[in-house]
Amino acid sequence: MIDFKTFTLDNNLKVIFHRDPSTPMAVVNTLYDVGARDEDENKTGFAHLFEHLMFGGSGNIPDFDGPLQQAGGESNAFTSNDITNYYDTLPAQNLETALWLESDRMLNLAFTPKSLEVQRQVVIEEFKQRYLNQPYGDAWLEFRPLAYQQHPYKWATIGKEISHIEDATMQDVKDFFAKFYHPSNAILCVAGNFEEAYVQDMVNKWYRDIPAGKKTVRNLSKEPVQTDYREKTIERNVPADAFYYGFKMPGKTNELYYTADLLSDVLGRGKSSRLHTVIHKTLNLASEIAAYVLGAHDEGLLMISGKLNKGVSFEQLDKAIWEVLDSVKAHPIEQEELTKIKNKVETTAVFSDQGILNKAMSLCAHELLGIANNINLEQGIYDKISAEMIHNYAQQRLVKTNCSVLKIKASTK
Amino acid sequence: MINRTKQPPISKIEKIAFLEPKHFDVERDVKLHWIDAVDDESVKIDFIFNAGTKNEQVHLARFVSALLLSGTNNKKASEINEQIDGLGGFFQADASRESAFVTIYGLKKNIHAILDIVIDAITSVSFPQEEIDQLIARNKQSFKVSSEKVSFLARRAFGKALFEGTNYANQVEYQDFDTVTREQLVDFHQKYYLNGLEKVCVTASVKEKDIHHIIDKVKGWSNKQPRNYAALLSNSPQTIHVEKEGAIQTAIRVGRILFTRKHPDYLDFSVVNLILGGYFGSRLMSNIREDKGYTYGIGSGLMELNATGYFFISTEVGKEVAQAALLEIKKEIEKLQTELVSEEELTLVKNYAIGQLLQSSDGPNAMMDRFLSIDKYGLDYSYYEQVMQTFNEATPEKIKEMAQKYLDWDELLIITAG
Repeated sequence: MIDFKTFTLDNNLKVIFHRDPSTPMAVVNTLYDVGARDEDENKTGFAHLFEHLMFGGSGNIPDFDGPLQQAGGESNAFTSNDITNYYDTLPAQNLETALWLESDRMLNLAFTPKSLEVQRQVVIEEFKQRYLNQPYGDAWLEFRPLAYQQHPYKWATIGKEISHIEDATMQDVKDFFAKFYHPSNAILCVAGNFEEAYVQDMVNKWYRDIPAGKKTVRNLSKEPVQTDYREKTIERNVPADAFYYGFKMPGKTNELYYTADLLSDVLGRGKSSRLHTVIHKTLNLASEIAAYVLGAHDEGLLMISGKLNKGVSFEQLDKAIWEVLDSVKAHPIEQEELTKIKNKVETTAVFSDQGILNKAMSLCAHELLGIANNINLEQGIYDKISAEMIHNYAQQRLVKTNCSVLKIKASTK
Repeated sequence: MINRTKQPPISKIEKIAFLEPKHFDVERDVKLHWIDAVDDESVKIDFIFNAGTKNEQVHLARFVSALLLSGTNNKKASEINEQIDGLGGFFQADASRESAFVTIYGLKKNIHAILDIVIDAITSVSFPQEEIDQLIARNKQSFKVSSEKVSFLARRAFGKALFEGTNYANQVEYQDFDTVTREQLVDFHQKYYLNGLEKVCVTASVKEKDIHHIIDKVKGWSNKQPRNYAALLSNSPQTIHVEKEGAIQTAIRVGRILFTRKHPDYLDFSVVNLILGGYFGSRLMSNIREDKGYTYGIGSGLMELNATGYFFISTEVGKEVAQAALLEIKKEIEKLQTELVSEEELTLVKNYAIGQLLQSSDGPNAMMDRFLSIDKYGLDYSYYEQVMQTFNEATPEKIKEMAQKYLDWDELLIITAG
């Protein structure tokens, strides 16, 4: 059970306070309700590029990291298809420095041309390092547009192509800031060993004079219901053939999300999962295979991916995978298997609630999707899922017409 | 309106609360360390073995580590995994140069059952040939995948050159996978696991009788092998390029043999490391990423082994700017050797370093790590007071002296792969 308090400032900034008396550290976590899905299709990669620019100094403070390091702290951020999240960790007695820095970059950025030029280069190097200069690095750049035809999940957070990052202009940057970076579009969490009144005072002091801004109504292209089986094969200079199967699944606010999550565990989490046991161990078709869900806010994907053993064909693999999928569609799983999956979920939950940073991030994420207290209700949702519910879900969703497959073939040269 | 141009007052960290684990003898030379200040149901148990890659051929240590749960005469690998998973347990094993680790995660209610399964599996592992063959196939494939990455190629070349002439230089080669035999694995396991337990760490709010239960179970594994740690090595500066056709980035590693924290210069040099490349605001980051945009990231670090250590700089940069990046690295080092660090920068680094120490001591698992990193060298928590004092007293002159003493460009090993 994670205790917390929430309050909202007059400018609509939602604030969550979590008291943890066991730590000498504090965390200031800021979630902005903007991700790669909010980008223009011709200017992709922008939310992430913008995240880099947030460290380039703000209206009143030329350097973001220096003062935080001076206070014994550090900061980082990440961008997903759904959100952008910034976090600062520092000794509790210096909390105010983090609030000063974060509130100033919510108020106004520095927008220097130099900062844009340099971060553009940095992001292009990141693009190369992660997506182009290693085997299978571009798999998701290829897979997303196969699985999504309309919804902006069809591009990755790094962007569709390097040229979009090269073409970003200062005006784009300013517009993006005005649209998404203001109190009405943010959730702040302060965690540490503080009195609630102190946190309220400090947050008010630094945030209350920031103009509220207007919450943008999200109007994303809707993904039509998938009705066809999709398959694409590409050749790359890779050491082994690789496969990616994706099945559309409900987004995080739908309770069926949790059913899909457990189903993916049955199929491919760990060494006793069905796919690992059958495809890797018994039939020895794949050198590795796993199943997992992409935790997406809108319609997401239940993935099965891995690499083929030498001499094994995609056809052999495909037949074997569908046999495993058919087995979970044919009969509900036994109680013992369900208990096993739930026990692993329970252990994972205990470990992932450790540390104030994890808790602060998770509270903000839950608040965005509804209310922060869902953080304490998740386990209950998992507990209620029955073998029958997983069975029904599998029958409806693990079908060819809901499936997209990317095959990466090792080019022979 | 409030004044936003001025940083709110900050206060220094005067004291860090360290928690001494409780210590138990497994055997005369083998300890169990226990931290029970855990406020949830989680249990983490680490077993540390004298089973690192230094002992024999590198791949043997890796293979035995990967095959610990590969099955016994009575139980198949799949049954073992099924049982651990069924109890909500997680198992991890890995081997480094000097040690091998086995870690178990679980909840209190099931931890003894998980432990029994793991201990039985490790004690009686029979290394079925079928499991060995599958592992060979997996390793061959992942070796090929890794070999496509310039960072992997640079890291290997760096390790080979840095530890030249010792077992520590050994790297796995592709052809090793074809020579591995079951007998070699059985022998390695017998020597370095069943007779190689060095240490046990428990982080959990369990009872003392639970601790004794664990000790009874693993007592027989206590280490009886020589440790043979490579002691202070001499430095062998050279410049090596590894060609990788088609690469669009070049990986760079620059470094040298140095020392462990028992050396009198260790702490002062660690401040030099911080300033140069040890944090996000470091000079290498500021110059090569934030000013030039050559890379997504660059950093430096100090690695400690049991009886020696080394310093390294690591980055991946655009192929066309590789030489320019190396030149900038050299310039930044020379700047540290010729110009005094400003008081402002030095104060920032000191505050940051002590803040990091506070953060890396936060929580029971972090505290266990803090303890292990001093216990390894026979030091106690008073060492961290010395750390804070040395950081606080570091002067610009001292930084310059350390940079001159240890970062002479001609003394550095320089690796590029791309």
